[in-house]
Amino acid sequence: MKAPSSLEELAGALRCLPGVGPKSAQRMAYHLLQYDRAGARRLAAALTVAAERVRRCARCNGFTELEVCELCSSPKRDPAQLCVVETPADLLMVEQTLAYQGLYFVLMGRLSPIDGIGPKEIGLDLLAKRAADGVVKEVIIATNFTNEGEATAHYVSEMLHARGLKVTRIARGVPLGGELEFVDTGTLAQAFYDRRPT
Amino acid sequence: MTERARVDNARAFVLHAYPYRETSLVVEAYSRDHGRVALLARGARRPRAALRGTLIQFQPLLLSWAGKGELRTLVKAEWVGGGPMLRGAALLCGFYLNELLLKLLAREDPHEALFDRYAEAVARLAGAGEVAPVLRAFEKALLAELGYALSLDRDALTGSAIDPARTYTYEVERGPVPVADADGAAAVFSGRALLGIARGDYSDPETATQSRALMRLLINHRLERQTLHSRRIFADLQTL
Repeated sequence: MKAPSSLEELAGALRCLPGVGPKSAQRMAYHLLQYDRAGARRLAAALTVAAERVRRCARCNGFTELEVCELCSSPKRDPAQLCVVETPADLLMVEQTLAYQGLYFVLMGRLSPIDGIGPKEIGLDLLAKRAADGVVKEVIIATNFTNEGEATAHYVSEMLHARGLKVTRIARGVPLGGELEFVDTGTLAQAFYDRRPT
Repeated sequence: MTERARVDNARAFVLHAYPYRETSLVVEAYSRDHGRVALLARGARRPRAALRGTLIQFQPLLLSWAGKGELRTLVKAEWVGGGPMLRGAALLCGFYLNELLLKLLAREDPHEALFDRYAEAVARLAGAGEVAPVLRAFEKALLAELGYALSLDRDALTGSAIDPARTYTYEVERGPVPVADADGAAAVFSGRALLGIARGDYSDPETATQSRALMRLLINHRLERQTLHSRRIFADLQTL
């Protein structure tokens, strides 16, 4: 039996998801049609609505359905601080710390020269405009501590220093509650290079 | 080339890594004795994976892997301890070196001498010195190792010694050719600069500029139709 073309089309469409190859896509398509038609309809409707409505916040570049997202328009946040993160997931993580009351800018990526991701592919020009609104006093860079995240941090910091802003980088080192015996070697080595006077 | 089932404690660097499935990582490693290999690091992206702080670029590692075929399985990664991480512009240069190796070296083709030059280049990039001479020295070593050593002391037409006072073009497969009228030629090099490159002395500003142009010409030729992203991105970053 040859698979009907709409089934093939569905399996093909599912392959746009990360980590989904032809086999998994086919499995998902069969599952939706065989066991979960209601789920399939719901998924289709949710995708249509989200693809239509979700857009980028004019201030933080994160996902929102409004012109400016709720967090950016909240009067409780301190507009003098701007924290730069790579992804919305990173933003949520910083929010969970409850240690930060300022606003955010989401790059939606990181500089990764080997993958061809440069300043144009992530929103560095948007960030330059956002940080130059005259209200922001300090930009806190919270990109990842990978080489790509470090490269991003370096260029963000150069770009904003040149525009006269105070730029800081979140600290790194041994995790809280971490016993040196069980910390990985790379992290401990960096903690030594980055040691500070007490 | 014989395939070995298991390799232990190979001196290596991570050139690049990308996510694989939910929690794993595919690592493009460059090892001294086995060349460039692709390794699957299972579970390396789990929140508490010990491999996380170890599998990073520009740090010398000892890697052990097993399996056959295109993608081997990483068994162990040990920290050897090198210098501090690369920073700023030096970090971008590091990405450039890695991209060169990824695009110009075939898989599983060991180049022990080049590996040592790479390790040396990374260590120098981590230091405070100028980055350009480090890049030029590595590019020169890479071309030589790929079998395209630069010919810099004799002109390709007559075989006579390079005259520091003359102007030359460089023909990719042959070498320097003297030109009478520099205006018509695309890229020209002074004899003095060619001799400087041959000695590995890039201190003269003219040699610095011309060596960059010459390496670019030769590397572009080797790359055929591939493009070097890191070059474009470096240029884009300068305009920020």
